[in-house]
Amino acid sequence: MLDDLLAPKYIGWLIDGFLVTLALSALASAAATVLGLMLCLARLAPTRWLAWPALAWLSVFRNTPLLVQLFFWYFGLAALMPQGLLEWLNTPHYWHLVFFDVSWPPFEYVAGFVGLTLFTSAFIAEEFRAGVRGVPTTQTAAARALGLRPLQIWRHVVIPQAFRIALPPLLGQYMNAVKNSSLTMAIGLAELSYASRQVETETFKTFQAFGIATLLYIGTVALIELAGQWVQRRNPTLGAAR
Amino acid sequence: MGSTSQPDTGRGALNTMDFSVIANNLSYFLLGAWPAGPLGGAALTLVLSLCSALASGVLGLVLGVALSMARGRTRRTLLLVLGFFRAIPALMLIFWTYFLLPIAFGLNVPGVGTVIVALSLIGGSYLAHSVYAGISSLPPGQWQASAALGLRPLQALRHVILPQALPIMLPSFLNQWIALIKDSSLAYVIGVGELSFVATQVSNREMVFPTEIFLFVALLYFVICSSLELGAGAIARRYGTAGKGT
Repeated sequence: MLDDLLAPKYIGWLIDGFLVTLALSALASAAATVLGLMLCLARLAPTRWLAWPALAWLSVFRNTPLLVQLFFWYFGLAALMPQGLLEWLNTPHYWHLVFFDVSWPPFEYVAGFVGLTLFTSAFIAEEFRAGVRGVPTTQTAAARALGLRPLQIWRHVVIPQAFRIALPPLLGQYMNAVKNSSLTMAIGLAELSYASRQVETETFKTFQAFGIATLLYIGTVALIELAGQWVQRRNPTLGAAR
Repeated sequence: MGSTSQPDTGRGALNTMDFSVIANNLSYFLLGAWPAGPLGGAALTLVLSLCSALASGVLGLVLGVALSMARGRTRRTLLLVLGFFRAIPALMLIFWTYFLLPIAFGLNVPGVGTVIVALSLIGGSYLAHSVYAGISSLPPGQWQASAALGLRPLQALRHVILPQALPIMLPSFLNQWIALIKDSSLAYVIGVGELSFVATQVSNREMVFPTEIFLFVALLYFVICSSLELGAGAIARRYGTAGKGT
C-alpha cells in the first residue's frame, strides 16, 4: 500500500528534506527576530546616523527578491571572499565539544541561512515598528514620570508591550520563513522542495512527491497558526487593540 | 578592503569589481534575446508581473466580494481554499501548475502562462482578504441605505460600497503587487527567461563576475519595487489610511 504511494526510500528523502526545512526556518526565524528587533531600534533611534542607514538597509532587503539575495550570498559573496576563506568554508570541519560533535555545514547552508535570516529580519523589524507605534505615548510619559531612564523605558515598558502587539504578525512572518525556505533549493540546499523535485525526477510519481511536500508545508504553517490562536486564547491581551 | 597596490592577480575586495560585464550584456539583462528571439530579462519580469497583477486583482475582487456575501458552508469552503493558497509556498504552487495545467487543458502551456496562473492564485487569495476587510470596514448603514433606495445587493456593491471601499484597499493592492514582482523571480525554477534566470545565465557564461551581476539585478528589482512602494505610501497618505494598518 505504502509502496504504491512511494517507496520507503523516497519517503525517507522527503522526511530528511522536511527536517532541513524545519531546522533552517526555525534557526533563521530565531536569528531574524533578534536582528529584526535591533533593526527596529536603529530605525527608531533619535539620531539620523542610525535611523537613515537602518531605513536604507530595510528598504533594500524588503524590495529585492529573496531568490536574488540568495544568489548574491551564494555566488556573489563567494567571489568576493579571499581564496583561503572560501576553501575553508567549502571543506567539512568537525569539532569535538564535550558532549557532541559539531560540524561546519556546506557553504549552501551558510548562504541559505544568512539569506533567509536577513530577508526575514527586514520584515520582522517593520512588524516590531508597528508594535512600538501601537504602544500609547502615555506609557512612555508615565515611565518617565516614574524616573526610568530611556533605556529602562525601552526595556521594561515599551518593548514588552510592543512585543505583545506584534506577536500575531510576527507569527505570520515565521510562516513566511517556512514558505520562503523553499527558495534555498535554487542554491542547492537539500530541503523539502529540493527533495520533492529529486523524488519526482527519480520516480515520476509527481502527485505523490509534490503532494507529500505540499501537505508537510501546509501542516507546518497550520501548526504555527494554531499555536498562535492557542496562545491568544490563553492570553487575550495579545495582539493589537482593535 | 585590501590595498590597491597589488596587481590584478585575483578578486578579493570591492576595489577589484568590474562592471563592464553589465555594460556588455545590458540589452540581454533588459530585453533578453529580443528582437531576434523571445522577450526576456527585466521586460519579461514586467510583463509577468503586470499580467499577474491584473489577474490577481480581478480574482481578489471577485473572491473578496464573494467572501463578504457568502454564508455558511460556501463561506467555509471559500475560506479553506483561500487558506490553502496562502499556506502553500509559491515555489510548490509553480511546480503544481507546471505539472497540472498541461494535464487539465490537454495542451502545452508555456512557462510564462504557468507562472502567471500560480502567482495570480496566490496574489488573489491574499487580496481577497484585503477586499473583504475593506468592504466590512464600511458602516452597515451604507448597505441598509442602499437597500432602502431600492438597490439590489450587486447594484449596491457596484455603486455604493466598492467606490468607497476601493481607495481603502488600494495600498494593500500595491503591496501585494510589489510582492508579485519579487515572486515573479521564481519563474527561474521552471526556466522562464525573466530577469533572475537571465542573471544566472550570464553569470554561468562569464564565470567570473557573479557579485557585479547579482548586485545589478538586485538594483533593477529595487528600483521597480521601491518606486511602487513610494507610490503606495503616497496613496495611503492621500486617503489617510496609513495609520489604520490596512
